[in-house]
Amino acid sequence: MSDLSLWGLFFMCGLATYLIRLSFIQMHGKLGPLLARCQPVLLLLPPAILAALCIPPIVFSKQTDGLQVELAQILAGCVAVVLASYFKSLLWPILGGMSFLWGYRWLIG
Amino acid sequence: MQIRDYRSQFWQGVRDLMPLVSGVLPFGLIVGANGVALDMSPELIMGMTVMFFAGSAQLAAMQLIQENAAFVVIVLTTIVINLRFAIYSATFAPLFYPLKKRYRLSFAYILSDQAYGLCIAPDQQQRSDAERISYYLGTALALWVSWVLSVLLGIAVGASIPPEWMLGFTIPLAFLAMLMSTITNRLLLIVAVVSGLAAIFLQGLPYNLGFVLAVVFGVVAGLILPRIAGRSFNSVMGRPHE
Repeated sequence: MSDLSLWGLFFMCGLATYLIRLSFIQMHGKLGPLLARCQPVLLLLPPAILAALCIPPIVFSKQTDGLQVELAQILAGCVAVVLASYFKSLLWPILGGMSFLWGYRWLIG
Repeated sequence: MQIRDYRSQFWQGVRDLMPLVSGVLPFGLIVGANGVALDMSPELIMGMTVMFFAGSAQLAAMQLIQENAAFVVIVLTTIVINLRFAIYSATFAPLFYPLKKRYRLSFAYILSDQAYGLCIAPDQQQRSDAERISYYLGTALALWVSWVLSVLLGIAVGASIPPEWMLGFTIPLAFLAMLMSTITNRLLLIVAVVSGLAAIFLQGLPYNLGFVLAVVFGVVAGLILPRIAGRSFNSVMGRPHE
């Protein structure tokens, strides 16, 4: 994407995000029933989005001749999952996963 | 109520936010450094940061840009990720709605996960409206400043990180760690598994539509499964009946 279209993209995303933040503060009371009806979907969205975002780039890497399954990345993901269940901060799973990946590449190449 | 009391509540908010900076800083570093790795100019990264002011949506947009996703898919993803702000907006509506429009409009912009988390604490709920607004401003502005500074630092550091470090892999790892914290019951685990598997099998679809469909499959599975099991959604989620 060109620089100009990226500015345009970010502006649209920023505007949409702002309007969501403003929604109920501005339309006080009028959207309450809508929110109550949407609540199950809102509760289910975070795990659905996060899984769809992170699983493919962990399992595959993009090569010139298509997708390739990456064992090192999958194992690094497992390390991050274990660390995420012990620590609340995002720092440790990320650091642990990256360290594993670096170590694996260094040992096996 | 005296100005001094407003001020003390404001600074109380700033102080309460400080421990959360340890969580914001690495996240901001990753956003800034990945922006540099994606060949974005510092102005563009900072423009994005100020316009979004939402770290997970920024990271998601960056990853989708890397995957050459369509413009519409990226905007849609940002909206869906940020839908949680609607819940926060509803929470603060009774407090902000009576204010002048210019305050309402600017207070909405600085709304964040962290400010919401601190302001819904029970001891805050018992205070006067003016005190609660001052406290909100303290937490929200402190978070805004620390977020922007963290991304700036990431941009400064990012330029010197060699490509062999595979910095881009920090994005899916960050999402994976966030995913783990959102899975608090079995239904949410199933939703994540359905969505993740669907995303793998639908990888080949154009414009990154596979991502959008995977999210839809995950959510639909989460809505349908309790019915098949003959239980109500609220009981499966461990929520009280309304």
